[in-house]
Amino acid sequence: MRPASRTSRRVLLPVAITAALAAAAAAALLPYSSAAPSAAAAADGLPHTVVEVSPGACGHGWDRPHAGRQVFDLRNTSSDAAEVYLTDASSGALLGEVEGLAPGVQRPLQVVLGRGSYVFRCLPEDADAVTGPTVRITAGPATGGPAVLPVTEHDLIPPTLEYQKWVGQGLGRLVGKADALRDAVDRGDLAAARTAWLDAHLAYSRLGAAYGAFGDLGDAVDGLADGRPGGVKDQDFTGFHRIEYGLWHHEAADRLRAPARRLADDVRKLRDRWADARMEPADLGVRAHEITEDTVTFELTGHSDYGSGSSLATARAQLDGTAEVLDRLRPLLEPRDPELPGIDRWLARTRDDLDALRHDGTWPAPGDLQVEQRERVDADFGGLVERLAGVAAVCDVRRTS
Amino acid sequence: MNGSEGVGRRSFLRRAVAAGVGGAAAGAVGLRVAESAAEPERTAADQSPAVPFHGTHQAGILTPPQRHAAFTAFDVTARDRGELAELLGVLTERLRFLTAGGSPLPAGVGEPPSDSGMLGPVVPADRLTGTVAVGASLFDDRYGLAALRPRRLRTMDVFPDDAPEDAWCHGDLLLQLCAENPDTVLHALRDIARHTRGLMQVRWRIDGFVSPPRPGGSPRNLLGFKDGTGNPDTADSGLMDRLLWVGRGAGEPDWATGGSYQVVRLIRMLVEFWDRVSVNEQERMIGRARDTGAPLDGSAEFDPPRYTQDPKGDVIPLDSHMRLANPRTPADAASRLLRRGYNYDRGLLPNGDLDVGLVFCCFQQDLDRQFATVQKRLAGEPMTDYIKPYGGGYFFALPGVRGPADRLGGALLA
Ligand code: HEM
Repeated sequence: MRPASRTSRRVLLPVAITAALAAAAAAALLPYSSAAPSAAAAADGLPHTVVEVSPGACGHGWDRPHAGRQVFDLRNTSSDAAEVYLTDASSGALLGEVEGLAPGVQRPLQVVLGRGSYVFRCLPEDADAVTGPTVRITAGPATGGPAVLPVTEHDLIPPTLEYQKWVGQGLGRLVGKADALRDAVDRGDLAAARTAWLDAHLAYSRLGAAYGAFGDLGDAVDGLADGRPGGVKDQDFTGFHRIEYGLWHHEAADRLRAPARRLADDVRKLRDRWADARMEPADLGVRAHEITEDTVTFELTGHSDYGSGSSLATARAQLDGTAEVLDRLRPLLEPRDPELPGIDRWLARTRDDLDALRHDGTWPAPGDLQVEQRERVDADFGGLVERLAGVAAVCDVRRTS
Repeated sequence: MNGSEGVGRRSFLRRAVAAGVGGAAAGAVGLRVAESAAEPERTAADQSPAVPFHGTHQAGILTPPQRHAAFTAFDVTARDRGELAELLGVLTERLRFLTAGGSPLPAGVGEPPSDSGMLGPVVPADRLTGTVAVGASLFDDRYGLAALRPRRLRTMDVFPDDAPEDAWCHGDLLLQLCAENPDTVLHALRDIARHTRGLMQVRWRIDGFVSPPRPGGSPRNLLGFKDGTGNPDTADSGLMDRLLWVGRGAGEPDWATGGSYQVVRLIRMLVEFWDRVSVNEQERMIGRARDTGAPLDGSAEFDPPRYTQDPKGDVIPLDSHMRLANPRTPADAASRLLRRGYNYDRGLLPNGDLDVGLVFCCFQQDLDRQFATVQKRLAGEPMTDYIKPYGGGYFFALPGVRGPADRLGGALLA
């Protein structure tokens, strides 16, 4: 079973702190919060500035701005947890953020600043954002870095809807393919069943069902035997891989009828449920990255291979799935992610190298590749996944108000 | 996002790092100040200093062996010469930072963190060295380097007592990482693999350790004997020029000047068998006393053996390892080499015996005149029953990186 969804990367710290405690903590802080750059050199050798985070004094304490690498010690003097953004005041680009800064807590934010104007924004939980004073840096290097224009939930809604629609169409087609698999098994035509299995499984893989994107139904459709006490013989092991195991381990057709019917039913349910569901916009960027993480973890290792030896075909389908997500995100990424051309290049390179390994419509199992072939595929996916990691970070949803 | 510059960006810009910020990690302060003050501060004195990265020769060759090492052979997956140059550039940048230590630059909000954090917010130098060597296969037709192959560099020979396992042999590039702590070594390997993932892939890897002196003198290998006693004096630069470094006009390509042939041999030790052999027999196989490391005709570790007074090998057998390896006649002086091996412990063999041995590693000016000659002399030595070479390779350690503007393999790809 693939790991559960990394649903939100923005879960606030589970700080259970009573209002009274928080107030006490905030009060305790006050004597120290006449913030100025700390005179004594900090242990990390960098200049530190204590900056206040609260609705009334957001960004206060930054009195002696200077360029270069530095640390802001963000101190939440309010009674609510808050997010803090440091932005470039002219472009709106985000230089740094601290999420879930609990009341009474101080956390460091390290950045590199160039000449320009900057502003802290404090975003208390369940309250409006507060913008601090604009601070100008007039001397020093021209550019600091890295900064990225924030992506808001609003930005992500149109591509998410489009992507959801595309997945919905794919699930619609999958129903027919799962039915074909069920029918072949019913007829006892196992050769046809193997062909239908591959066709259906690749269609599913193309939908990029990484990291539990389809929840429990996703597990029923494409879960692995991991975590099942009986392993591949476990009664509850169902879905594509259960059928794959049987089809490629000489299991009799009548033993596969129930799993094949169940799969066809589950795929139908998935299609119907998907039509009613709303995909989290925050998930789209994560999906762009994690489909490929799945490929690396499950397909390139052969871990998800229950006999068909189709890991590379799956990997190839997942690559298509990643390309679909990226295409939806492209308008957002173009002004934000300088790595985008690199991503496109590595996508193409990976695709070409995989295609070159296909003979007569099928791929060898990863374990059957020659060392050089295997290294090339691993390198391609490795180079790609390193670059995709930034997409998830860039598309992390940031608040505007 | 500001700062885009194509392929190299990840390594040089957004994930660039600033070296030289020393000192302890910044803990959370403020309300938690008491807590963090209670933590013992790591002062500069606790940190092993940096081994200089720049120089005529690479570090990690003459450097007195650090306690831990990882030998990792890679195959280069770079598509063309340009990507190979990029790879060597990234390797240079990463090693320059990692060996100096310091605090990694912030990655900003559009990237995962630039450092794994394994070593805390300030990366200690910990005497880390990273030595990069190339294998013969790098000089095939992929990068147009065939004419520049060091003259002696080839696929590792198979000697009569060898049992080579393909998965543990050869490679386009060898990275030898050494540091005083195993986490420093692993951190460096993880960092380098991350930055080079698309351009090279690990072929094999083995970790090793050097034991502390017990009780003094050279550290012991896993047969219980002191190892390294007979090494040439690395402080003698004239001797190093004669034995280690490729010089100009020696028939090697110009770019190779300042480099050195590196041989790695993965040698399994059948320690259970060895332990069932009397100490006398053990000592006669090696040629030295186990407790002191002294030659069998001497009393202290560094006493020179006097083979001329023992021509028939009554005291130090003619077929003892030490005597075969270096008969110490004037004619053999040119075959001396610098050993820099590490013990390894990889768990268990299929029969339940310990899977341990020696990552034999040596450097020399001429692979044939030195390593191959010595290895041939050792053929069939009595010790062969207790050891089994199965992996490793022949490599050429690149010349040093001369300064901030230079990079590994700069002259090779010039
Ligand atoms: C597991 C394998 C090996 C073991 C356990 C081993 C052990 C030893 C020991 C205990 C000594 C004596 C102490 C010293 O001078 O360092 C020694 C010396 C030496 N060994 Fe090895 N050795 C091994 C493999 C090799 C190989 C593969 C070579 C080279 C082909 C080699 C070359 C030498 C040389 C040159 C000396 C120094 C001889 C001298 O100058 O007196 N050894 N070895």
